[in-house]
Amino acid sequence: MKTMDQLREFYQTELLPDLRALEDKRKAAVKQLLIVGGAALAIALLLLVLLVRAGPVGFILVAVLLIGAGVLGTRMTRGYRSVFKVTVIARLVRFIDENLCYSPDQGIPKSVFQTADLYKQHIDRYRSEDQVTGKVGATEIAFSEVHAEYKTKDNKGHTDWHTIFRGILFAGDFNKAFRGKTVVLPDMAERLLGSLGQKLQSWTPGRDDLIKLEDPEFEREFVVYSTDQIEARYILSTSLMERILQFKRKTGKRIYLSFVGSKVFVAIPYTKNLFEPRLFSTLLDLGPIAQYFEDLQVAVGIVDDMNLNTRIWSKS
Amino acid sequence: MPVAYGVIAILVVLGVAALLMYNSLVGKRNQVSNIFGTMDAMLKKRWDLVPNLTAAVKGYMTHERQVLEQVTAMRSQIRPEARGMDEKVAFDNQVSKAFGQVFLAVEAYPQLKASDHFLHLQRTLVELEEQISAARRAFNASVTDYNNAVEMFPTNVMASLFGFQRKTLFEIQDPQRQAPSVSGPLR
Repeated sequence: MKTMDQLREFYQTELLPDLRALEDKRKAAVKQLLIVGGAALAIALLLLVLLVRAGPVGFILVAVLLIGAGVLGTRMTRGYRSVFKVTVIARLVRFIDENLCYSPDQGIPKSVFQTADLYKQHIDRYRSEDQVTGKVGATEIAFSEVHAEYKTKDNKGHTDWHTIFRGILFAGDFNKAFRGKTVVLPDMAERLLGSLGQKLQSWTPGRDDLIKLEDPEFEREFVVYSTDQIEARYILSTSLMERILQFKRKTGKRIYLSFVGSKVFVAIPYTKNLFEPRLFSTLLDLGPIAQYFEDLQVAVGIVDDMNLNTRIWSKS
Repeated sequence: MPVAYGVIAILVVLGVAALLMYNSLVGKRNQVSNIFGTMDAMLKKRWDLVPNLTAAVKGYMTHERQVLEQVTAMRSQIRPEARGMDEKVAFDNQVSKAFGQVFLAVEAYPQLKASDHFLHLQRTLVELEEQISAARRAFNASVTDYNNAVEMFPTNVMASLFGFQRKTLFEIQDPQRQAPSVSGPLR
C-alpha cells in the first residue's frame, strides 16, 4: 500500500508538470462555460422582457434556451473531463499498483451487480463507470462506480427515481473455494430490537438461512444469510469477521458484502459522484488529488484488509 | 353457546401453538444431527490422511518413532463402529494432537518440508482444519439454538413433555487450548 508521503512525492515529481498543462485547459473550459452561460442568461432575460406578453410560449422558449445552453456546456467540458481522467485518475491507479488498469467509460455490468445479490430491489436504471481491473498480488479484482435506481409512479403519473445503491462496487477473487451464497448486510433490526429483531431477521423474505455467529460485535453490526450453515462459517472465519469489522470502522460506512461463486463482493456507498473533476477549483492543490487517491485506496486496500492474498487453502 | 365457541377457539389456538413449538423443536434437533453428519464426514476425511502422512514422513523421521507410532496406533484405534459422538470427539482431539506433533517435528527436516508430496498433504490438512473448524462452529451454534429452545419458556414445556434432552457443545480439550510450545524443535 502506498502512503501519503509517497503520494506527495509522486505528486511533486510526476503529476505536477502535467497538472499545470491541465490547469490551463481547466481555466479555458471555465472561461468558455462562463461565456456560454452568461450569453444564455442575458438572452433569456431579454426574451423574458420582450415576450412577457406572449404568455406560456415565451416561457417555453426561455426554458428551451436554458436547457440548450446546459447541454452545450456539458459537451464543452466533456473534453476536459476525459483528459482529466487520463491524466489524473489513470495515473493515480497505476501509482497505487502498476498491475491495475483504469477505464473511465466502462463499469461493472448490471448482471454482476445482480449476481452479488446485495439488494433485493428491482433495478429500473443502472449506470456504472470508472472501472479499475487487474491483479493485486495473487488476487484478481475489479471495481467501479455504480448507481442503481428504481422508479415509482404517483397517482398523477409522475415518475420518481430512488437510489438503491450509489458508490463503489468491488468484486474480488476470494481465497477459499465455495459453492453456495453468503450475504453480509448491515444490521438494523437486531441493534434496535435485540433478540426480537433477530427473530424477525430469520423470517426475511427472499433471503436464505439466518446465520448466527459467535462474535457479538460482528452480530451487532451485521446480519448474515447463507445457503449453507457450515460454508458461511468456513468463509467467515473468526479472523475475517474481525477484519470486516475493522474495515467498517476504517471507512465509517454501511458496507454490504456477499460471497458468491468463489468471489467476494463489497459495496461501499458514497453520496458524491466519484473520480470526477472539479471544474471550479484549482488542480494545483494536493487536497483534491489526495481525496481521489484515498477513494481508490479504500477499494484496492480491500485485498489487504480482507487478507485475500493468503492462499494457504485448497484454492491456489 | 358463545362460551363454548370461545373455549373451542382457545383450544384451537393452543393446539396450533403446541404443534408449531413441537415442529420447531424437531427442526432444531434435525439441524443439529445434520450438521454433526457433515462434521463427521470432514473428520473422517482427515483421519484418512493419517496413512498418507505416515508414508510421507517414514523415510525421514527415523528418530521420531514415537510420533509415528502414535499416529499409526491412532489409525488402528479409529474403528468404524465408534459411532458415539463423545468417542468421535475424543478421536478427533487425538488426531489433531498427533498431526500437531508431526508438523512440529518436520521443522528439523528441511528436505521433507520442501517435498511436493508433503506440501500437498500440509495444504490439504490446512484446508480440512479450516472446514472442520467451520463445522464445529456451525454445530455449536445449532446446539445452542436447540438448547435454548429446550430450556426457554414456552418451548421448554413441549420439550419436557416429549423428552427433548439438552445436547452438549463440541468443546476443544484442555491441552489444545494451551499455546503450542516451540521450544521443542529449537532445543
